[in-house]
Amino acid sequence: MIRTIAKPQEKKVTGCGECRSTCQSACKTSCTVGNQSCERVTREEKIEKI
Amino acid sequence: MVHVFHYHGHHYLYDTGSGALHECDEKTARHIAGEPVEWTDEELKAALADIEGLKDAGLLYKEEVPAAPVKSHEVKALCLHICHDCNLRCKYCFADEGAYHAAREMMSLETAKKAIDFLIGNSGARKVLEVDFFGGEPLMNLDVVKATVAYAKGEAAKRGKRFLFTTTTNGLLLDDDAIEFLNAEMENVVLSLDGRKEVHDAVRKTVNGKGSFDAVIDKIKKFVRIRGDKHYYVRGTFTAKNLDFSKDVLFLADQGFSSLSVEPVVTDIPELQIREEHLPVIEQEYEKLCDEYIRREAEGKGFSFFHFHIDLEGGPCLQKRVSACGAGNEYFSVVPNGDIYPCHQFAGDAKWKMGNVFEGSLNADIRDLFATSCLFTREKCGNCFAKFICSGGCNANNYHYNGDINKPYELTCVMMKKRIECAMHVHAERKSREN
Repeated sequence: MIRTIAKPQEKKVTGCGECRSTCQSACKTSCTVGNQSCERVTREEKIEKI
Repeated sequence: MVHVFHYHGHHYLYDTGSGALHECDEKTARHIAGEPVEWTDEELKAALADIEGLKDAGLLYKEEVPAAPVKSHEVKALCLHICHDCNLRCKYCFADEGAYHAAREMMSLETAKKAIDFLIGNSGARKVLEVDFFGGEPLMNLDVVKATVAYAKGEAAKRGKRFLFTTTTNGLLLDDDAIEFLNAEMENVVLSLDGRKEVHDAVRKTVNGKGSFDAVIDKIKKFVRIRGDKHYYVRGTFTAKNLDFSKDVLFLADQGFSSLSVEPVVTDIPELQIREEHLPVIEQEYEKLCDEYIRREAEGKGFSFFHFHIDLEGGPCLQKRVSACGAGNEYFSVVPNGDIYPCHQFAGDAKWKMGNVFEGSLNADIRDLFATSCLFTREKCGNCFAKFICSGGCNANNYHYNGDINKPYELTCVMMKKRIECAMHVHAERKSREN
């Protein structure tokens, strides 16, 4: 049996470039794009909460 | 591509095309991995039905879309080398103990202002800009950091922009004044601490050659206590001397630090360098850490480890995922004399000097090299399951170890893949608890 653990949400906007610079994270040597979030989605979620 | 991996009796399928993660029984996992499996008719029928159902839903064997990288030429971030000097002499320092293979010097306020002008002037329509105060040790030049922040905020306000500031510090100069300023102005603070006292002291020495653990631990604890819920990372480095680094991560968690990152060293010093023969032990360490991480989280005593955070349901868009880190194109380092480099790890290497903030222009060839470098220019990444998460690794690591920003350094690939598998297992265990 196969159980789905996670599936990515569809992105409404792509390639806008508003995301933070990857190297501003903690590591400075092992930068990982997958650790980042989408600034647009984060912003929209904040607005929804307000 | 479907990546099949196993973790302590759990069997996972990660579909690179869709980004979906599934857990399954061992026979299904082995079948998808192309291994021979002894099925009953009923088992096979059920497994194939599941597989077909997920295929139809676009969650398994989904075709990978060859997305183009983000092609923005807007500058969004600067690493400001506010101080090319340091009050520590860490053995593994990639920055030549703060001096970057040149004279020890501080960035002047004039240069810092020019750098801010350069960033704002090249930021196009982008509203949020980022500056990372880096060194050496930035707090040795705190007055300039403060004045630069004030200047940047003033200039940004005139243009409808906003700055996010970060400071990376070894903690030695964290007095009440520095703590108050950093907590008021910094979006993120990265505090360097390697873990257990004996591990930290073996490499992070004072100018007089003494271990620095006792000199920083209480200051960093105080800072974090006052910091409250604002972002910070206690960031360590592990070397060949402490391959049992999971103990250091847990030691840091036991000190009350809840946001941690411990990274493999970048050095060519033989006794500290991570080598291929270390990889099996390092992979085991990540698993040990992962197991304890999950155990603590389940007991409500969890902490955050940078590399175990992968947002499998959200995360950046595909264009960002193929664009790599942005160094040399939308992110640059500026050293004390105003010279511009692709990132901090290239600073001081004349071959990679891209310009100077007093001149304002950038070397178009170097910028083009970085702007066009992406996941698809890194041939080795083509068949790697991790590619849409790591984006082809660190340009600087690739260059320093393999002589080409597009040739991923194999040792970091192995560690990255292990961390990603652990992160996926962490996510799956969290989901199980929620259900």
